[in-house]
Amino acid sequence: MNIIACVKQVPDTEAQIKVKADGSGIDEGGIKWVMNPYDEFGVEEALRLKEKFGGEVTIVCLGPARAMETIRTALAMGADKGIHIDDPALYEADSYATAEALAAAIKGLPYDIIFCGQRAIDDDSGQVGSILAELLGIPVVTMVTKLEVEGNSAKATRPIEGAQLVISTSLPCVITATKGLNEPRYASLPGIMKAKKKPVDIKNAAALGVSGASKAKVVKFVPPPARPPGKIICADDTPEGKAAELVKLLREEAKVI
Amino acid sequence: MAEKFISERNLRFLLYEVFDVESLLQYPRYADHSREVFDMVIDTAMKMARDLFKPVLTEMDRKQPQYINGEVKVHPQVRTVMREAGAGGWIGATFDYEYGGQQLPEMIGAMTPTAIFSAANYSASVYPGLTTGAAGLIVSFADKAMQDLYLPKMMAGEWQGTMALTEPQAGSSLADITLTAEPTEQGYYKIKGQKIFISAGDHDGVDNVVHLTLGRIKGAPAGIRGISLFIIPKKRIEPDGTLKFNDVNCAGIYHKMGYRGAPITQLAFGENDDCRGWLVGEPNKGLGYMFQMMNGARIDVGVGATGIASAAYYASLEYAKERPQGRRLSSKDPLSPQVPIIEHPDVRRMLLFQKAIVEGSLSLLMQCSKYHDLEKVSEGEKKEDYNLLLELLTPVAKTYPSEMGILSCSAGVQILGGYGYCDEFPLEQFYRDVRIHPIHEGTTGIQGLDLLGRKVIMKNGRAYKFYLSEVRNTIAEAKNDPDLSLYAQTLEELVEKLDEVTKFLVGIATQGNPERFLADATLYLELFGIVSVAWQWLLQALVASRKLKANCNSEDESFYRGKILTCRYFFAYEVPKAQALMVRLMNNDGLTVDMNPAYLD
Ligand SMILES: Cc1cc2nc3c(=O)[nH]c(=O)nc-3n(C[C@H](O)[C@H](O)[C@H](O)COP(=O)(O)OP(=O)(O)OC[C@H]3O[C@@H](n4cnc5c(N)ncnc54)[C@H](O)[C@@H]3O)c2cc1C
Repeated sequence: MNIIACVKQVPDTEAQIKVKADGSGIDEGGIKWVMNPYDEFGVEEALRLKEKFGGEVTIVCLGPARAMETIRTALAMGADKGIHIDDPALYEADSYATAEALAAAIKGLPYDIIFCGQRAIDDDSGQVGSILAELLGIPVVTMVTKLEVEGNSAKATRPIEGAQLVISTSLPCVITATKGLNEPRYASLPGIMKAKKKPVDIKNAAALGVSGASKAKVVKFVPPPARPPGKIICADDTPEGKAAELVKLLREEAKVI
Repeated sequence: MAEKFISERNLRFLLYEVFDVESLLQYPRYADHSREVFDMVIDTAMKMARDLFKPVLTEMDRKQPQYINGEVKVHPQVRTVMREAGAGGWIGATFDYEYGGQQLPEMIGAMTPTAIFSAANYSASVYPGLTTGAAGLIVSFADKAMQDLYLPKMMAGEWQGTMALTEPQAGSSLADITLTAEPTEQGYYKIKGQKIFISAGDHDGVDNVVHLTLGRIKGAPAGIRGISLFIIPKKRIEPDGTLKFNDVNCAGIYHKMGYRGAPITQLAFGENDDCRGWLVGEPNKGLGYMFQMMNGARIDVGVGATGIASAAYYASLEYAKERPQGRRLSSKDPLSPQVPIIEHPDVRRMLLFQKAIVEGSLSLLMQCSKYHDLEKVSEGEKKEDYNLLLELLTPVAKTYPSEMGILSCSAGVQILGGYGYCDEFPLEQFYRDVRIHPIHEGTTGIQGLDLLGRKVIMKNGRAYKFYLSEVRNTIAEAKNDPDLSLYAQTLEELVEKLDEVTKFLVGIATQGNPERFLADATLYLELFGIVSVAWQWLLQALVASRKLKANCNSEDESFYRGKILTCRYFFAYEVPKAQALMVRLMNNDGLTVDMNPAYLD
């Protein structure tokens, strides 16, 4: 079975994100980069399928040079090889341009199933998996929490409000993974040693035949407004006085009652 | 609870910038590794610490191990931790490839993960840690058959390893060990005796427990010359591979002040005359072998103490930034808002104290780890030199972090005020947890005797002289840095005085007065600790100062300035304490030697 897992490198969930003074992006100084947590579920599921059916897992990642660490992490978990799409023309790619580059890298490869995370935790768009499937002309099931592959088809479970959908799909297909699908393994020390020697192909936009042109443009990064300071009610020290003051503030200042 | 328990930035600073772990890559032993490998090891250890260790920190304290029908039940996460440590290759991370290890440098494969795991959850970290130590002894001294029998299961985290030394009458005094081993014609020994306080000596997080045990072969000479090392499994392996109970009985567990996630057990060997043990190496050489594990374990104790103190530091730092209380002394307006307590100089002093202890200790430990790595890749006299340095510094690297770690955690409790004393915050647990460290693996008193009574004078003081020259090298370098030359000079004077004190004390020994020579050995160790950590702070400041002169981003700049500030703190607040110790140590009045104990009543 040939399995592809797409991964993105994102700031660690614990990183303190600071917007650059000119609003052109985030300040990357001091940020720790990790594999997008939803992509980890995809990599883990890919490895499990490989363990069950045999075959190969290929990691595809678009990102600058540092993204190689994330590819190596996936290789250390047990994936076999990687494709690193690294081109400054693609660093600001929107979901469409990203999917286009991924599709171009994947097109020539044999694949039975492609995993993506349901979304990346940095820009939270949640579109790449679906666009990728569209560009490749194959089905997609998003937000998958359980997957059973049998022969040439798969049954994927997807939560919807108050229920679960079980969807049958033919292969090849794109599956976007979400929490609950599995518990991703840790890279092992022997895996880390081996990862160094596994092949990673580096490709730029020209090699893939894509322009990198985005359909959406980020106008400006703006940090969320700082939370206004709380107000301590101390007009009058009695409970009645405080309650009266609170009602007054809710009505006149907050205008919620 | 604070998310942060250790500074990854600081680990990388020590590994890459101060101790240049990449310089080891030039040796054939480490040729397969690279910076990327090291980075991934750190990342993975951090991830495991966050996911596996930290979430059960409080729970493992509250739900202590239980002794039920002769068996010990521990928190279910212990099994997961052991299995993941095994599957990930962490237990044998520094072992040679031929034993299934990863041949990582000690700095990366041992020091770094031990610091990370113990900062996340000390109790959970000792299960794999002890197994590494016990497996290491088997690698070094057991024969091939025993290695094949035990190593795979231990390194997979399926079997627990322990070190079983202590008996009721033989704690500090290992010469008094009595567990007996009677030779049989089948090659194994019949074992009888008792051990107490054995960490992880029995529990349901593993399928078997392998005790690396000190005992005496029947008829062996008295004292340490008659002590041998045995492997005694809880369940022995039958020729057909099945496990059979080996008459190692857990008679109970102790209820401890802290470090409650790991049981210490009382063990009775051979109650039914059916306990078998296998001799490791040669008869009567056991204590020497065990010292390999003990030296490693002593360093691990230093790391464990530093880890706990680190977690306490980040918890109190977070609190200090958020807790509004009082106003600045210069502010007279009672209606102005209260300031976060980190604005108060006294709170800052406590935070700096914590930082100075945590990062100073870790630096000293990393230094030891580097000597260990250099010992492994060196030959001949050089190899011996590094070994001697490591030997000399082991009691210091065990004790300074342990004793000062307590004070550091105590400062953490203090910063939280009343909340520090209550169990909604983790500080009270850290304070209890860290208290073990000056006790196990040889008390501080025993470490003092070891340093002054053995290490400083061994081989005509060769280790000691080498140590002084190492410190002086750093001093010489720091003298060239105008921002640090003042501290270099202070340390130079301090080292002179340490040398004076050492000569004075050794003089007492040569006059044939061992009691007076060693009466204040613990204080000598304390002095030695201050000197050593001052050295490490100067070394760190030197690197930071160099980095600041090059261009660096604002995060890095703040990090390096923090290093230099903390170095200044150490020289301003901690180094003066050495003066008092020296005054006392230069006095040979024998106050504690000659006194009448009745006066204490
Ligand atoms: C939580 C925990 C875990 C442990 N784990 C293990 C383990 O895994 N394996 C194991 O074998 N043991 C273990 N121990 C035992 C531990 O190593 C001993 O408790 C320790 O070495 C001290 O021995 P003791 O308790 O008998 O105290 P004692 O030896 O009775 O010492 C009491 C006091 O007297 C002082 N003292 C003793 N002799 C001298 C001397 N000659 N000169 C000056 N002062 C002296 C000591 O410094 C100490 O202050 C553990 C203990 C604890 C509490």
